[in-house]
Amino acid sequence: MNTRSIRFRLSAWHAVLFAGVFALLGALLYAKVKNYLDDALLETQARRARQIAETLLANPAATGEEYVVRQIRSLYAPELGNRFIRVTRADGSVMYVSGPPDDQSFDPSKVPAASQRREAEFTRQESLADGRSMLIAAFRAASAGGGPYLVEVGTSSEPVDRFARHLLVLLALGYPLVVALAGVGGYIVARNALRPVETIAVKAEIITLHNLSERLPVANTGDELERLSIALNHMITRLDEALGNSRRFVADASHELRTPLTVIQGELEAIASEENLAADIRDRVGSILEEVERLGKIVQKLFALSRLDAGEAQEEWVRLDLAELVASTAEQMLLLAEDKRIGLAPPSGKAVHVMGDRARLKQVVVNLVDNAVKYTPPGGSIQLRVEAEGPNAMFEVADTGVGIPVADIPHVFERFFRVDRDRSSNIDGAGLGLSIVKSICTAHGGQVDVESAVGSGSRFRVTLPLAGSN
Amino acid sequence: MRILIVEDGRKLAEMASRGLRAEHYAVDVAVSGESGWALASVNDYDLIVLDLGLPGISGTELLRRIRGRNAKVPILVLTARDATSSKVECFEAGADDYVTKPFAFAEFIVRVKALLRRGASDQSNVVRVGDLVLDRLEKQVSRGGKRIELTPKEYALLDYLAAHPGRALSRTMIVEHVWDQSFEGLTNIVDVYVRHLRAKIDDPFPVKLIKTVRGAGYRLSDSDGA
Repeated sequence: MNTRSIRFRLSAWHAVLFAGVFALLGALLYAKVKNYLDDALLETQARRARQIAETLLANPAATGEEYVVRQIRSLYAPELGNRFIRVTRADGSVMYVSGPPDDQSFDPSKVPAASQRREAEFTRQESLADGRSMLIAAFRAASAGGGPYLVEVGTSSEPVDRFARHLLVLLALGYPLVVALAGVGGYIVARNALRPVETIAVKAEIITLHNLSERLPVANTGDELERLSIALNHMITRLDEALGNSRRFVADASHELRTPLTVIQGELEAIASEENLAADIRDRVGSILEEVERLGKIVQKLFALSRLDAGEAQEEWVRLDLAELVASTAEQMLLLAEDKRIGLAPPSGKAVHVMGDRARLKQVVVNLVDNAVKYTPPGGSIQLRVEAEGPNAMFEVADTGVGIPVADIPHVFERFFRVDRDRSSNIDGAGLGLSIVKSICTAHGGQVDVESAVGSGSRFRVTLPLAGSN
Repeated sequence: MRILIVEDGRKLAEMASRGLRAEHYAVDVAVSGESGWALASVNDYDLIVLDLGLPGISGTELLRRIRGRNAKVPILVLTARDATSSKVECFEAGADDYVTKPFAFAEFIVRVKALLRRGASDQSNVVRVGDLVLDRLEKQVSRGGKRIELTPKEYALLDYLAAHPGRALSRTMIVEHVWDQSFEGLTNIVDVYVRHLRAKIDDPFPVKLIKTVRGAGYRLSDSDGA
């Protein structure tokens, strides 16, 4: 799991937060409940102590201590109620102490005497030797004649402690469950909330310069993600417009250049055809004409590129045999290679069908083969291959030419890019051939790439989707 | 022969009319769709040269109107778009041929002459340039009575040059006619084929027929000069 993903972090935070809150609440609840139960128990004991002191010990001199003891036994039966009652005289001697309780939770004879406290009424918790504890309320009875008696009523705190222990166990058992639930819940909430992000990311990956008209999905949730996808879509729209403007500019510019170029070319041709023209003038006019023709070609190629970019590539869309197209085109160019004593090996193998514009695809073959011939020294060879590879048709032009420096490889398909300007300046062209190849391939849903090593040659590979079998 | 040029680029119209007049044609020029329509509906022309990108009445609209009035007059369209689709469009509207700007003037004249000749069918079966003879039926070439074997491409190249003797044809024109549009820009192939052709029809003979015209292309002629 990606621990840096928002989903993970959200659910972890969720779990930690819930763990903290639950621990705090649990501790509070435990303390409060324990406190309340202790208080309630003590309150009951205190009430009894007061009762005994105020009723039975109001006048012990008159009733006699034996009467008091009898009354306590019959009225309160402390042994049955698992209660502890002790009446101590002012001199510290015990007048009465209850017997061992039924549940044997304490031994009354071992309950330590109350410390020398002077308050009329107080409570205490007494820890017994065996680890248990008792809650004891004491009341000082100021009886008429006979001095103050200290009445102590107590009971084992065991039931309260047991309840508190159960509560603690319950809380402890529930704790991991709550934390786990919080984590899982947080994960589910985060996943659902972030699901549109995944969809947007997948779609955004698909959108390239060639399908800028497409938009990201907008989840109609009214949340931040909807705002984000709308904002991203606006950005794509602006990109689309900016790109459209620049393409239109190239198209318009190359369009507008055509008429003046025609005039320049025509006037120069007229001058060149003058009968009595000085040889040096004729030569210079010829040189200008060459450049004008070159300019005209650049204009045409730029226009073709802008149209390819605008997606107007396919003037026809037919099923054709790429192997046959490559073979026949290579045959037409054979002389070009032979002229440089370069071996041009046509593809061998069976038909490989693709869908496309025949003239455009032929242009791909022409440009790549011409390129290979240009950059392969005499005596070299060019190998053409056309094969079906999985869902694709693959067309490869491998030469034994000069190769492309590593630093230049990423740029060879860029417009006006030329490897080693000094050396290639005597080679005809404007550096648009390979970018036209790339644009045509892209328009056909394919791609082109190159492997090359300086001195040993280049290998251009075109891949296009295979046509369906019918 | 009377020709109407409808072209809003004044300089281009001027240049085209000057060039056509030099070839002894009578030329009228209109610089808008409206004036073009006015002239075309009054006069009988043997050929109309029409720019597609006109202000006012568009070139395609004017093309339809002229066709509606006169079904026979050949129309040569000048277009700044080289998309096959727009070519198909203007053929459907009734154009007979098109030239894409920028074009070589020689190309323009070649097209004009071809359109004016059409119907007359004066494309003879045997073409002679000096002592070079092309038999178009048999697709055979001989010079000075000696038979010369050519490959189909070499023959096509020679045939194209021989069809316009004395006129310099640019490499671009040659590529478009002898090869096809996919070879556009691949003009070095023309040089290679011309060299091979020269080896067969010129090298063994004292008079060289294929001439290189710097900046303009190649010319087939038995006379010297430009």
